[in-house]
Amino acid sequence: MAFRIFFIIILFLLFPQVSLAQSNYVLPYPSGMPGSLSYKFHLLYENASRYWYFGDFGQFDYNLKMTDKYLVEAKTLFEYKQYLLGYKALKKSDFYFPNILFSLAKAKNNNKDISQKKIILKQAMLKHIETLERMEVDTPDTFNWQPEKALPTTLDIKTTIERAINIRKNVP
Amino acid sequence: MKKLIILLYSAFLFLFTIFSYLFVDPNLSYLKDFYSGFAFSNRLLTTISYTTAILIFFIFYGIFIYLGVKKKINLKEIFVLLSITAAILFFSYPAMLSYDIFNYIATSKVLFFYQENPYVVMPIEFVGDPLLAFTHAANKIALYGPFWILLTGMPYLLGFGNFIVTLFSFKLFIVIFYFLTVFLVWKLSKKIIPLILFALNPLVIIETLVSGHNDIVMIFLALLSFFLLAKKKIFLGTIFFILSILIKYSTILLIPVFLYVVWRLIKNKGIDWEKVYFSSSLLMLVAFLLSPIREEIYPWYAIWFISFSFLVPNKKILLYTSIAFSFSLLLRYVPYMFTGTYMGQTPFMKEIISFIPPALVFLYYVIKKKI
Repeated sequence: MAFRIFFIIILFLLFPQVSLAQSNYVLPYPSGMPGSLSYKFHLLYENASRYWYFGDFGQFDYNLKMTDKYLVEAKTLFEYKQYLLGYKALKKSDFYFPNILFSLAKAKNNNKDISQKKIILKQAMLKHIETLERMEVDTPDTFNWQPEKALPTTLDIKTTIERAINIRKNVP
Repeated sequence: MKKLIILLYSAFLFLFTIFSYLFVDPNLSYLKDFYSGFAFSNRLLTTISYTTAILIFFIFYGIFIYLGVKKKINLKEIFVLLSITAAILFFSYPAMLSYDIFNYIATSKVLFFYQENPYVVMPIEFVGDPLLAFTHAANKIALYGPFWILLTGMPYLLGFGNFIVTLFSFKLFIVIFYFLTVFLVWKLSKKIIPLILFALNPLVIIETLVSGHNDIVMIFLALLSFFLLAKKKIFLGTIFFILSILIKYSTILLIPVFLYVVWRLIKNKGIDWEKVYFSSSLLMLVAFLLSPIREEIYPWYAIWFISFSFLVPNKKILLYTSIAFSFSLLLRYVPYMFTGTYMGQTPFMKEIISFIPPALVFLYYVIKKKI
């Protein structure tokens, strides 16, 4: 019996399931994917809803929602080996990111207590990093995209994922 | 005799106003000097006092209706009575029976003070805001229509950042709409009885002048829409009808009646307004009965249908059922007031109290009609 326990402990020590980032934050379900007509309408709706989410906290919610959405989109597209679309979605997720910090800074300037929002953001970023690290393992470092009537492009997926991780790690 | 009745009624309203302050929330720091905790620690006595007060309210209501029927009260006297009622109850504690007025203020603050969209951001997100200590629906996004939220900008800004001033500014705002609705009831009916039935109805008085519910604003706009349609002003009537829906959405059920009236107007055909109000009352009764789908039946929702049913007092079954509902719904507060919990037997008791009296009245008149 003692030997079995010892063996299990050794197994755990030899093959540690180390996860650097873990968070209870829940990312949204994947929404519609690029290529469909409804996706174009959805983009329009997304742009219009930016105005619905007015205010500092409103903008925080909107940009966090967008950065979450496009991260999930990138993850799903990478899983289906749609590397170009996934790559674009990941860049889009990063694009919304500075706006989150900007809206928080604005809220602070307007004397709003941002402590709860910072906790939410921290949790979200941990979940993002967790997702991105898994993505990094599951996707090729680079991908040569060969469009039909244009020059081929090399997608530096690994660098893009690493940059996305770094952006999120630098959240104050 | 009439003067004595008015004097006794005024004294009773004054006592009721004092009674309302026994319900001051312990977390409402702005009124800490008025806090006694009495209503929460002496539940039996409070419940008996409240039930007695409701009975007295209805005795006076009966007297006023009697005076109206016997033509012993004129328009001027009714106006004096209403002014006294509003002037005294304006000073009552608005969260005696419901905390909605705090929700109105909190929602308004999200938009006009924090400049955030109340349909996206909840009051609870503003950590440290003093309103959070006593606002009961702070964890919800705006529950009301956009026009209501816009309108609340007026009382909110008139509060100049002072909570007590804001609170009474909201009450004043509702009092104004109460008088506007009363005026419309008079204009639409041109009779004293509907005016007394509506304006001095204890449920209308308590839920509007004490608790400050916004249902009166929605009903005012719906009645104004019908009033304008009666004057053949279709465009303005449509605008106010839409605005009424944008207060609390319930008047959306009046769309068939509204379209019927517009169609008759376009076709230059006569309109049987009694039928219009009767149908409106029934549709609003449906909205009232469907309200558990969203949450639960709240006493102030009765304003939706009683305001129309009192416009057609000759529809006896509807009239007496409406009065019975006014009475039973005010007693709906009793189980919680007595037990202090929303669990256990309270929900069941609330339903029994709310529906048995109107159901009995309804059955009595149906059987009487058949005999």
